[in-house]
Amino acid sequence: MKIRVERDGLADAVAWVARSLPSRPPVPVLGGVLLDAGSGEPTDALTVSGFDYEVSATVDVPAAIADGGRTLVSGRLLADITKALPNHPVEISVEGARMAITCGSARFSLPTMPVEDYPQLPAMPQFAGELPGEVFASAVGQVAVAAGKDDTLPMLTGVRLEIGEGKLTLVATDRFRLAMREFPWEPSGEVGDTAVLVPARTLAEAAKTLGTSGSRVELSLAEGDGLLGLAGSGRRTTSRLLDADFPKYRQLLPSEHSGAAVIDVAPMVEAIKRVSLVAERGTQVRLEFVDSVLRLSAGGDDEGSAEEELQVEYTGEPVTIAFNPSYLLDGLGALRTDRAHLSFTTPSRPALLKPVDEDGGVAPGYLYLLMPVRLPG
Amino acid sequence: MAQRLLMVKADGSVLVHSDGGSYKPLNWMSPPCWLMEEPGMWVVQNKAGEKLLITIDEVLHESKHELGVDPGLVKDGVEAHLQELLAEHVTTLGAGWTLVRREYPTAIGPVDLMCRDADGRAVAVEIKRRGEIDGVEQLTRYLELLNRDPLLAPVQGVFAAQQIKPQARTLAEDRGIRCVVLDYDALRGTESDEFRLF
Repeated sequence: MKIRVERDGLADAVAWVARSLPSRPPVPVLGGVLLDAGSGEPTDALTVSGFDYEVSATVDVPAAIADGGRTLVSGRLLADITKALPNHPVEISVEGARMAITCGSARFSLPTMPVEDYPQLPAMPQFAGELPGEVFASAVGQVAVAAGKDDTLPMLTGVRLEIGEGKLTLVATDRFRLAMREFPWEPSGEVGDTAVLVPARTLAEAAKTLGTSGSRVELSLAEGDGLLGLAGSGRRTTSRLLDADFPKYRQLLPSEHSGAAVIDVAPMVEAIKRVSLVAERGTQVRLEFVDSVLRLSAGGDDEGSAEEELQVEYTGEPVTIAFNPSYLLDGLGALRTDRAHLSFTTPSRPALLKPVDEDGGVAPGYLYLLMPVRLPG
Repeated sequence: MAQRLLMVKADGSVLVHSDGGSYKPLNWMSPPCWLMEEPGMWVVQNKAGEKLLITIDEVLHESKHELGVDPGLVKDGVEAHLQELLAEHVTTLGAGWTLVRREYPTAIGPVDLMCRDADGRAVAVEIKRRGEIDGVEQLTRYLELLNRDPLLAPVQGVFAAQQIKPQARTLAEDRGIRCVVLDYDALRGTESDEFRLF
């Protein structure tokens, strides 16, 4: 193999692929990135890929190829090197079991690993549809925040992706909160209505890097093989799907409420952060609604206490309801609007947070369902 | 020469085991290393040039097994989970008890649980899977330190474990520390009193 590539393109590509590599690979080859010159599509590109049996990442970099070939080198090392290279064209050549990198007057020689031992990269599954990159990135960000982090409950560590009737639904829950986003998209028609569960962490990472503004993200699916594919901005990634049943969540969504408030998000976030300083380990922050005043309080006799008042638009009987402050902050942050609509029935039933648009109405398409915590006494 | 079990793992590591010593090999080489087979001898060498030489006189049995992709190890019943469960069900220790916090900080390390009993007195709880003497010593040190804090003192101690060794129990009780045997399965089966969506 003997090729010449642009420094920035190479560094970005290697950094993106190496990011998803395991930090302690079970076998050394899985910590490698595969460099493939000339055998991919297009032929005048260097294909950089990584795979750890869970997630695969592939990106093409335009390259002048004098001599094609495939080689495998340590991903972390190559990422560190390419990031540090001076701004000159990079020449890569493989001689025997070593790879040489020349850039300006800098020269590196790396040992290669046997390409034959590297697992076959999964092919991109069936094209399911596409949507604007920033829409996808923001939707995944809004939902993944509610996904569980406890691996003993695998069905809660995923984001459920539902495809149906020209719309895409994303849902995640960790039993204490549930976030759901629905929006129209352009299905290809080749994949029927379905629902799959994608590891939340992988999806969030992929959406963040693929969903740059102005780009399109293509979604593909092979349910039989348990694989989801995402592609955009010249990058392709696949992720294994979670094989677990997602809870029947639609029945959890409350159909009515007895109290509702419209709250300015920024002052509310500030106030929660302040009063929850005395709520050790984020135990609870209490929200007391009386007429148009919201009194936030936290803490108790043991650890000190705090309270703060905010003006809100409130309709309903006076009520006191308590939440885990970090879950409440997550929800307020995920709304992505200046004002929030908070509705509830009783202090022991789930409360609903929804975004409020500029006209003062509840904006459709997103909801954050949050379970209160038990009030003291 | 002695009879040995030689193990070569997929990551390249080579281990020499005897019929004892539990999980510990007599000698080993960690990856990355290279195994070279020579007549009657294995040479294992690492990056630093260090060598492990194994002389082989007779092969009693030789077999190879692919273990496939590692699904990872899931540990159950570890102390962390016990601590979490007991924090959720702090009334297991006594009716009317409340949790102050998990991992209550002290200058010599965190106490597993800090609680208040029904009368509001502070209680430090040390949780172990197997209750042995060193656990009691650890709790004693915490108690000594905590009792210097005028806002907390007097602080009682509870030594909680799935099983408690008789010597540990004797030592604990002699120091006025209460011993509680935890039933992990029962704790796990108990529903949390936290509100949940489902």
